[in-house]
Amino acid sequence: MDNGLIFQPLKFRNLTVKNRLFRSSISGRWDNYDGSGTQTRINWEESFARGGVGAIISSFVPVHIRGRILPNYAMIDSDDKIPFWRKVGEAVHRHDCKYILQLSHSGRQRDNPGVENFKEKALSSTSRSDTFHGLLCDAMTIPQIQDTIRHFANGARRAREAGLDGVELHASHGYLITQFLSSAINDRTDQYGGSLRNRSAFLLEIIQAIRKEVGNDFHLQAKLNAVDFGDALYPWEKKGNTLEEGIQVAKWAEEAGVDAIHVSIGNIFPHPLLPSGGFPPDELNWWYGTMISSGVRGYLNYTMFHFKILRPIFTFFWGRTKKDHPVEAVSSEYSKEIKKNVTVPIINTGGYQDASVIRRVIAEGYTDAVSIARPLIANRSLPQVFASGGDLPDKPCSFCNRCLVNAVANPLGCYDVRRFGGDHDAMVAEIMTVFRPSQFQVSAGD
Amino acid sequence: MADEMIIRTKQGNLVDDIQTSPVDDYQRKFRLLLILIPSLILVMIALYLIWYFTSDRPLEHADIHEHFKYGSIGSEPGGSIFTPVGGVLPPYLVFKTLPAVCPDKLPGGYASLGLVYEPGHDLPIGISRRRRLGIDQVGLNCAVCHTGTVRASAGAQPTIVLGMPAHQLDLERFFEFVTACTLDDRLTADNVFMKAKEMGEPVSWMQRLIYKFVLIRRLKEQIVQGQNRTGPLFRDSMPRWGPGRVDTFNPYKAIQFNWNLNQLPHDELIGAADFPSLWNQKPREGMHLHWDGNNTSVDERNLSASLGAGVTPVTVDHPSLQRIHDWIWTLPPPKYPFPIDQQRVARGETIYNQHCAECHAFGGGKTGTVESLSQINTDPFRLNSYTYVFASTQAALYPESPYQFTHFAKTDGYARQPLDGIWARAPYLHNGSVPTLWDLLRDPQQRPTRFIRGYDVYDQKRAGFVYDTPESKSSGFLYDTAVPGNGNGGHLYGTKLSDDQKMDLIEYMKTL
Repeated sequence: MDNGLIFQPLKFRNLTVKNRLFRSSISGRWDNYDGSGTQTRINWEESFARGGVGAIISSFVPVHIRGRILPNYAMIDSDDKIPFWRKVGEAVHRHDCKYILQLSHSGRQRDNPGVENFKEKALSSTSRSDTFHGLLCDAMTIPQIQDTIRHFANGARRAREAGLDGVELHASHGYLITQFLSSAINDRTDQYGGSLRNRSAFLLEIIQAIRKEVGNDFHLQAKLNAVDFGDALYPWEKKGNTLEEGIQVAKWAEEAGVDAIHVSIGNIFPHPLLPSGGFPPDELNWWYGTMISSGVRGYLNYTMFHFKILRPIFTFFWGRTKKDHPVEAVSSEYSKEIKKNVTVPIINTGGYQDASVIRRVIAEGYTDAVSIARPLIANRSLPQVFASGGDLPDKPCSFCNRCLVNAVANPLGCYDVRRFGGDHDAMVAEIMTVFRPSQFQVSAGD
Repeated sequence: MADEMIIRTKQGNLVDDIQTSPVDDYQRKFRLLLILIPSLILVMIALYLIWYFTSDRPLEHADIHEHFKYGSIGSEPGGSIFTPVGGVLPPYLVFKTLPAVCPDKLPGGYASLGLVYEPGHDLPIGISRRRRLGIDQVGLNCAVCHTGTVRASAGAQPTIVLGMPAHQLDLERFFEFVTACTLDDRLTADNVFMKAKEMGEPVSWMQRLIYKFVLIRRLKEQIVQGQNRTGPLFRDSMPRWGPGRVDTFNPYKAIQFNWNLNQLPHDELIGAADFPSLWNQKPREGMHLHWDGNNTSVDERNLSASLGAGVTPVTVDHPSLQRIHDWIWTLPPPKYPFPIDQQRVARGETIYNQHCAECHAFGGGKTGTVESLSQINTDPFRLNSYTYVFASTQAALYPESPYQFTHFAKTDGYARQPLDGIWARAPYLHNGSVPTLWDLLRDPQQRPTRFIRGYDVYDQKRAGFVYDTPESKSSGFLYDTAVPGNGNGGHLYGTKLSDDQKMDLIEYMKTL
């Protein structure tokens, strides 16, 4: 098939990307414990650039230590991190690929807070613990909110100083900015809670602070939830923001100065609908234990994962709403509605792997580009497959999400042993290639 | 800090908790809840079970008549669930279903034994119900032996007279039936449940568990124990009590004192006597009570009588007994329910005052005292069944309490009793060996030697219950005065009066 549409450049106000394929934000625990970067991350990011994506959205990059989701994630919390990110940018740029750094703050959603955060509860819009793991938090004070806005602006400045191509605000998937945006989470009664406008104030003030810090000529995009689906896992939880509210937030973000909207769904992460696909209980039994003490529901969840007889209880809840959504292009319908209401380009994420689907969503106005994470882990060369006219690689991603569950404990990679003919050693060998610089790599993925 | 750690390490304790996280703090509270909530539930279950098995809830009756008829005096089994004491009847469900479980042993039901039923009550008069040891129990109360029936004719409805001797009740057969059916193979928990269901009696799951796994087996054991103790009293060779009579003290010896009855003289085991009346106790205080006059305290006599109903010092309900005491203290004797010839009454009063009043009228010089056996010369068995040893043993009951017996004493004869309500106290003499007043006023040689007891049609002429009609013969118990303990001799007072004088005297005595 002619995949020319996918390879048309996408022009933003301050950035042009060579094709419509973005590597979505994803990372393993590659870096040093203190958040300083390593060669492994450079290897990791470069491997996607070499595969042919037009732009890479970095991993979750905390703007402050209290906003970390896992240790060993490179941060951008201080100026001394700038040289590392410059190295990352340079490595990616060598492959004509853009690099957008995702400015992030976990809020209460800290899978493993690390020793630095061990003694303190997380910061959030609320003091109610998260609904999945029971991660504890305290509602931020106004000074803490102002400080955090500052951290985001400083992060953007550092990204620009590092020569990166733009920044993305991670305002989806239940992290700190979502915790303010979502009516299911934000229970504040001050100027940052209550009405949608008030709940959006934190995001909009961050956008304004960034613009003030880096100016209007630096690419800034926001990853937003079109819909929260807050009750997808447990029906007794609140639904959160509706599509209408998602559209309104996107419009305000555009007005505030973002150059693109990255559309996703789900006010927790992982969420039954995102990442698309499965949630394998065998892997959860092996690896969820690493975060068993992070939240107050860890033991309960682990018990559900550990005992086979109890797994159907959890999988019932997890799979309850999945039947209403496709695995591929899971949020495309909502992306289309956002796109209708804003003028800036739209990037949509969630279950993209098949070129025929990608062509369709771009051609039919669902989105301007797609971002892909897990299918690219399985096949770094997916853009090349598309470029050569293919719709799917030989061994496509199964959307099993074993990579997701392993990420909290193990090097990130494809853990679907079926894709390696059942050869566990071959699977591990492939995963371990990330530790070798590109010039030494001999990878099936390239 | 460092020193402390070194010391603890030297002691081999390498697992110090030196810091906690917010999650730890939360989970510590949560774990506490995890322990507390199940513990609380367990405690609540335990408290419920303790309450369930230790609560003592009699069926209360505000009306004194209802209380007398159906109220508990504490004769149901009680004490500890591990070692229950007291009671002579099986639990409520078993008691109620027994006639259905063993219909061949009691075709007419409990009513055929002379127990009196009233409409609206599932238990007969004299049977109380009380929740003890986790189940509904039944027991005997005063009314079982002290409620009689009277009919004007064979076709008439019986009148129930409270406080009257239960002349129609065959207590011996009643106990025999309960014992035999309880030990019958058909008496199983499932059979009891089935019969209860047929009777529309709900059985909770807890009751089912108790009946199925504990109670029936224990009940049979208890019945066998009781049978072993009292067996000698019910041997075929022993005289039968017959309706309206009970051996007051011999079962007492076996049940309360665990005496081996086989070691007692044979004749001592014969002691059946008539149920007395209960009314008008106030003027009796201080008189020699019981047939042989062995006690001069109404309260002691009452308490002692309750022991015969199955009460023990552990299970006795003193407040309930006090209510009965207060009621019978002034309960008037029943009025004679048939026509009275007032002319004869006037004449009879004179005869009464001349021949009877000194020993039998309230205020009489000898009333309430004991006449020696050599003088009265009535049957000696009842007197001899109450022994010196037994009297002294009774003092051991209720030790160190206000209820300890202090008035029991061995006598040498029978008490001269007041004759209030005497028309309703037939048959006469302590052992009920003379069916009517008319016969009592005859020479012992002329008194009937074999007559029917337990028939409740009243003989208005002879003043007593009909004992020689075809109807009475077909439904009563044949009393034979030749049987040991049944002798009808003695008490020759008034036997020399003319027939007309006797008729006058009887007419007057109907008014007492």
